[in-house]
Amino acid sequence: MPAAIDPEKILGELHQLWDQLDSQTAGSGGILRACAMTLAVVAQDEADAAQARRTIGVLMHDHPCRALVLKMHDGGELSARVFAECWMPFGGQQQICSEGVEITAIPDHFAEVARLIAPLRAPDLPLVLWCRGPDAFSLRAFDYLFPEADKLIFDSSAVSRAHSALSFLRMLRGRRHLVADLAWTRLTACRERLAHLFREQELTSADVKSAHVAYSGLAPSTEALYIASWIGLALPALHIRLERIEGDPGLRNVTLATNKGDLSLTFARGSQLEVRSCGQGYRSSLPSSDEAELMREELKILGRDPVFERVLG
Amino acid sequence: MADASNPFADPLRFQRQAPECAMVIFGASGDLTKRKLMPALYRLAYDGRLPASFSVIGISRSPLSDQGFEDLMREAVKNFSEDTPLDNDLWARFAPNLHYVPGDMKDPALYEAIGAKLQEIGRKNVLFYLATQPSYYSTVAQQLGAAGLTAQSPGGWRRIVVEKPFGHDLLSARKLSECLHAVFPEEEIYRIDHYLGKETVQNILAFRFGNGIFEPLWNRRYVNQVQITAAESIGVEGRGAYYQESGALRDMVQNHLLQVLATVAMEPVPAFEPDAVRDERAKLLRSIRILKSDEVAVNAVPGQYAGFQEEPGVDAHSNTDTFVAARFFIDNWRWAGVPFYVRTGKKLAKRATEIAIQYNSAPLSVFPDDGGTPDRPNLLILRIQPEEGISLRFLSKQPGSGMHLRPVSMDFKYGASFGGRSPSAYETLLVDALVGDATLYTRQDMVEASWRVVEPILEYFQSHKFRFPNYEPGTWGPPQADEMLARFGHHWRNS
Repeated sequence: MPAAIDPEKILGELHQLWDQLDSQTAGSGGILRACAMTLAVVAQDEADAAQARRTIGVLMHDHPCRALVLKMHDGGELSARVFAECWMPFGGQQQICSEGVEITAIPDHFAEVARLIAPLRAPDLPLVLWCRGPDAFSLRAFDYLFPEADKLIFDSSAVSRAHSALSFLRMLRGRRHLVADLAWTRLTACRERLAHLFREQELTSADVKSAHVAYSGLAPSTEALYIASWIGLALPALHIRLERIEGDPGLRNVTLATNKGDLSLTFARGSQLEVRSCGQGYRSSLPSSDEAELMREELKILGRDPVFERVLG
Repeated sequence: MADASNPFADPLRFQRQAPECAMVIFGASGDLTKRKLMPALYRLAYDGRLPASFSVIGISRSPLSDQGFEDLMREAVKNFSEDTPLDNDLWARFAPNLHYVPGDMKDPALYEAIGAKLQEIGRKNVLFYLATQPSYYSTVAQQLGAAGLTAQSPGGWRRIVVEKPFGHDLLSARKLSECLHAVFPEEEIYRIDHYLGKETVQNILAFRFGNGIFEPLWNRRYVNQVQITAAESIGVEGRGAYYQESGALRDMVQNHLLQVLATVAMEPVPAFEPDAVRDERAKLLRSIRILKSDEVAVNAVPGQYAGFQEEPGVDAHSNTDTFVAARFFIDNWRWAGVPFYVRTGKKLAKRATEIAIQYNSAPLSVFPDDGGTPDRPNLLILRIQPEEGISLRFLSKQPGSGMHLRPVSMDFKYGASFGGRSPSAYETLLVDALVGDATLYTRQDMVEASWRVVEPILEYFQSHKFRFPNYEPGTWGPPQADEMLARFGHHWRNS
């Protein structure tokens, strides 16, 4: 058994932290304690936890939360410490602050961690569990954590067996969990571009003669599988061809052959997208898809995402 | 093609994005363009919500080149974008699509030049924006029609956005409407009331119809009175000449505050769709009881702050109202008998726009009446600006011996739950107009219903000479406004 953490003690430390922040800002604009959800994050190690904290710092501008950062490590005791992230809105006078608890644990402690989450979560607000890295797809210890969350966020991009990852997500959805995958979120800008081109060319489903998705690597990535599934749902009369080409692993190209010419999106290096739209070609930049942007998008969706659910199958 | 028919649409994730189009702004060198429109357009570009080819054609009499106009707009963005820094790279991409056509708005040659510019930049979709003096509205509409610029082309659209005031009374509002309808169908006319674009005003609908607990208490059985206050701490700020002709009743009540009242009091909509929402707002506005001429004096109070008559551009004996308070009733089953007090004014004690819904007191006082328990009915306050949020006041036991109650407040602040910035009203409304969503825009029947409500008050104000000024700057208006409520056993909530 790991040494128990007393949630009352942690909550007491959070109170002390706020008292301290209040006294530090007395006389200035003061602070606003902001919280709209609990965001529990499972980080793979020390460096990953530091990166997660940085991302939470960015996210709290749009999604103020009580953060529970679960840092996995190789050994030692279960431990916890509190922290706060503050920022000053552009042109504002009052700092906005969100609070957090960093818990250090090994996977064997996850049952104990799950028992801690209930008293530590912000009452009556949604709890989102963000499982960073591929371990969540394979480590059974995560099963203790899933039931505590209202939404589960994964990232299947780094998973070597895409089909297994999707089966896992389907299984969780079958258990009535709301699931999200940042690999799908990464496709939003590209999907939006395709939808825009389709509208711009005033096309209908009947105008599309064929569709194909090209990927590189030994097997299609989850991104390639997702986009093929999405196009297949949008154009149910077509068979979507999934084709392997040479190049850096990942999704490489999406092409719709239409009566008015091809609509084609080719992923180039450095977030560049080569666009061909019925004879016209240009290169454009995709908006940033760093993890803060991806998470920002996911945290806006705390209910069902019908399109993703259908794509997941 | 509408998104609904696009098989790739994903409204949950895809941002509402303006289509390829040109926006033609009449009054492009004026204050509204500089302070509101251009900062809003720039922010939309900053957020990636405008297509790369989005074009603006500025129109005004000032003899500017494209470069001169671009410089003017750059300064406007720099000076008036409250929460968006000027990004030089973004501006370098945005600015080449800013064009300028100088000319006299009465001159047909100007409209030929606009047509040529539209042809040159090749846009099928065009949004005309009247940010000019209201006296030009009809002229511009007629000239656009005469030049063939309002003809709806296949696969494209031509729309017009009209800023308030929509006329200066019912008759002139109808005349303006006739002029607009001669060249644009009603569904392509967007009458902008920026109050409806405010996040907090939109949130009234979310609060009422997205939650289950408030709507059952939203009627005459539980509500004792409603107060809508739009107080400004500043004066006319150099707009004396305009304001003297307008006054608080026309400038604020006829449009903004009656629209807010309609939003607070309207019936639930079957679906959040443009016509469904506007139908309910219009029905509510038509239900407001029209005061008879002999009822106005007891139900409305004009005010003017000390010093207004010395403002530049203002007549030394001006009879213009810089403050108005009025009592309205809504003649429908939900609200019969519930007074809606509305007030607005300049140079008041503080800047605050809010709606206070006061509930009936508890039917029986069961706690000892020893002076420790005040009679403070429950109050629900929807704060529109500043400190946007919602508060509920209720009584709570004071800690200690005895059963003494004290009012306490349960507060929701937007900033505490939604950390990021909220889009400005103009950002919201511009995108709505560009994508063809008129939900937050005013329709002609609403404009006419509002004028019908204020006209008796307007006539009374115009036909009487008041002892102005009647309130000091920094106060909550003339004492007569307090007396009006006192006569009905109420008092203003001055916070």
